[in-house]
Amino acid sequence: MKFLSKLIISCLAIAVVLTGAVFLKVSAQDQPITSQQIDLIRGNCVSTKNTLNQLHASDALLRVNRGQIYESIETKLMNGFNGRLSNNNFNNSNMTSITNNYESTLNNFRSHYIVYEEQLASAISIDCSKQPAAFYEAISSARTKRSQVHADVVKLNQYIDQYQAAVDQFEKDYQTAANGMKQ
Amino acid sequence: MEELKIVSAISNSEFVNKHRLLVFVVMSIVISMILVAVSMAMYNSSGAAQLDLSRPGYKSVRSQAITSDGSVQTYSAVGTISQSSITEFKSLLVKQVDKVKTVDAFGGDPLSPDSLGIGTGTTAL
Repeated sequence: MKFLSKLIISCLAIAVVLTGAVFLKVSAQDQPITSQQIDLIRGNCVSTKNTLNQLHASDALLRVNRGQIYESIETKLMNGFNGRLSNNNFNNSNMTSITNNYESTLNNFRSHYIVYEEQLASAISIDCSKQPAAFYEAISSARTKRSQVHADVVKLNQYIDQYQAAVDQFEKDYQTAANGMKQ
Repeated sequence: MEELKIVSAISNSEFVNKHRLLVFVVMSIVISMILVAVSMAMYNSSGAAQLDLSRPGYKSVRSQAITSDGSVQTYSAVGTISQSSITEFKSLLVKQVDKVKTVDAFGGDPLSPDSLGIGTGTTAL
């Protein structure tokens, strides 16, 4: 009996701590909406929705076009060059490792974009004149998710830079080795 | 009790026999609805929906989509490594990298309250 009561008390304590942590996290992330902003959302509802619709369309286009380029860089160029180095018995471990990181970031980019698009679509579907607070929260969440997509784009660009640097280094080593062979 | 079960089973099979066409149509509709639901779930969860610019709302940008990436030349994994092959690869890569780095994709903050006109520093229209 004593054991049971101890167990219940400890479970309650854990639940209280976890709930507190969640509330702290939420309050740190979200800025509460003010009454002035509620009035603004109601007043600017139509124009805000138009802006969101335009952003929804332009981001979709960006996703399609960028996605194709990023994918072709990996499948048509990086993999081809790594394969050629491997076939000629050159050390390609550095470039292969960068390509693997690039691939996993590209997968994150795809999945983060899906999450962002769904959140933006759900924000657009909310009636901002009737539910301004829910609309504001949905936009805040979409904003966070869009920044994740941007972070993936930045990472992809960094991996491309790293890959270019690795190719430059390989070229230097190759030239050095070729000159050494001639001499 | 047993008799009652047998009688109800017979009456069910009689109903099916009498209304075969109706049962067939209803079953077909139910199966097609299940298949549509499954395919829609796959369409949404796979990310195909996000790439589908034929959806309503994307009409304005549809024409700007790259419809084929045939312009990107594939670098073959077969062949020798020489200075010219490295130079060829670098030029192919630079072409694509230039396309990627022209615009800071998904950068900026268009969803900030101020950008949307719902920040504290803006006024109602």
